[in-house]
Amino acid sequence: MTIPPRMIGNLVRATEEVFETMVFKSVSAQEPIADESFRPVSNVVASVAFAGYRCGLVAFHSSTGAARDIAGAMLGIPPASVNGEMPDAIGEIANMIAGTLRTKMAEVEPAWAIAVPTVTIGSDFSTKYPTDVTRLLLPFSMEGQSIFVELILTGR
Amino acid sequence: MRILVVDDSSTMRRIIINTLNKLGYKEFHEASNGREGVERLATTPVDMIITDWNMPEMSGVEFIRAVRANEATRHLPVLMVTTNAAEDDIVEALRAGVNNYVVKPFTPDTIKEKIAAALKA
Repeated sequence: MTIPPRMIGNLVRATEEVFETMVFKSVSAQEPIADESFRPVSNVVASVAFAGYRCGLVAFHSSTGAARDIAGAMLGIPPASVNGEMPDAIGEIANMIAGTLRTKMAEVEPAWAIAVPTVTIGSDFSTKYPTDVTRLLLPFSMEGQSIFVELILTGR
Repeated sequence: MRILVVDDSSTMRRIIINTLNKLGYKEFHEASNGREGVERLATTPVDMIITDWNMPEMSGVEFIRAVRANEATRHLPVLMVTTNAAEDDIVEALRAGVNNYVVKPFTPDTIKEKIAAALKA
């Protein structure tokens, strides 16, 4: 199974649109990371599962510092003032990226159903997937910080 | 104008309220899903509803159907703010009784235009 090029392009555009419109920061896409074993160094991971014509999930990875910057920008408050708001804000970022991707893909295929976001925060955890999934890891640069958007497809 | 903002994301509720504040709206009530929205409407009169779609316990579409089924609230203008923007989604939301539709991510100008359109509907 391969990830359609259209889907990769739509995921990049979805991420750029969400950041430009709701975070007021521009992000620049880097080359996708093909190494299946690579795991981004991140303390905050927000994922949104989807099912239907396609099944899988979209996950957003960032450091705690980048997550605070993003939450602060969304809410119009200094990053240092961000505390309990951060998990919800990052979950909403993942929700909007997944939702925008879904809408763009629905122009050419049946729309999927998407779940509500799940957010994991910590310093000593990793994510493992079954071996039969297809994975794409897209790095982005945001004001000198690295953030990652991951797409996992299962089945079809 | 009293506006009920229904969204499971506290961040999104705050973004919407901040945006509406800048547009001159001052009185807000909040609920974190459709069920809470129904409960809030039973005790708190409002002039307009802004709701998300994907929420736990009771979705935005189920909430709107409940609003339209209640004699006391069926007249209220309802604006849906959601990432669900496929053609079938919009048809389903309109059938449920939405007056207008904002796709996330959105700009303040979009919210302003859609509120004006929902109030005219």
